[in-house]
Amino acid sequence: MAPSDDIANEGRQLRPGLWATINERYPGSMITKDDFVPLARLKKPLSESRLTFISSAGVQPKGTLPFDVAHPVGDYSFRRVPSASTLADLEIHQIKYPTHGALKDLNVIFPIERLQELAAESVIGGLAPNFFSFIGYQMDPERFERTLAEDIADAVIAEGADAALLCPA
Amino acid sequence: MSLQYLKDAVASNDSEKLIRYVRLHLGDGNEAAGRKEIDKAWIEALKLLLDVPATDREFINEALREKDAATLAHLFFYLHFYFVKRSGEWIHDGTL
Repeated sequence: MAPSDDIANEGRQLRPGLWATINERYPGSMITKDDFVPLARLKKPLSESRLTFISSAGVQPKGTLPFDVAHPVGDYSFRRVPSASTLADLEIHQIKYPTHGALKDLNVIFPIERLQELAAESVIGGLAPNFFSFIGYQMDPERFERTLAEDIADAVIAEGADAALLCPA
Repeated sequence: MSLQYLKDAVASNDSEKLIRYVRLHLGDGNEAAGRKEIDKAWIEALKLLLDVPATDREFINEALREKDAATLAHLFFYLHFYFVKRSGEWIHDGTL
């Protein structure tokens, strides 16, 4: 397999131009890590795998503490979003990306109904009890990795997910 | 900007870097927009006090006396967004 076809093992930045743009707006915010960890391979077919979904879109169940979009260094908490939720159960608290489309149909940024359909059709083995959501605005990548990323990873494992679909907003 | 970038700016007393970050944060990555947003929040706050309405001074004094500086700083950022939203000129795409 050509290196360019195997992103999981190569760790190549898919959109280097995006990094330049973001570093111009927020100097020093995009970092390179040397301890690259390749993506894990599925251990069983997708049709037998229990899937969870991890999103930085700021989607959360109504009634939970809104994400802290005002804090200048970011919010390092996450919310569990029950995978059986309906769209009416959810809302978005984030001001760093255009949400017009998502407010019309949350599935464009948080495809919960599509995933429920895939589970109902047995395309995937099922859904973990919860999905995971946070806001993608953190100025402290070390804290992000040490707390938020580790906490979500632990929760994903604890909930028995076989695979996690990562979706940046 | 990464946190280390900001801490280095604090250590070197580089106010320009720090205020630029605040403007970028409040202007969603657009420094000129952020500068305008800061002005907008202060103008909105000023407008509310021109007629010298009764205000809850006890609450203000108690908050300043009882709350720690970090909580007040956090509140300061929330108040910025509160007054910007109240102004009716909301430039952000999402919701608080």
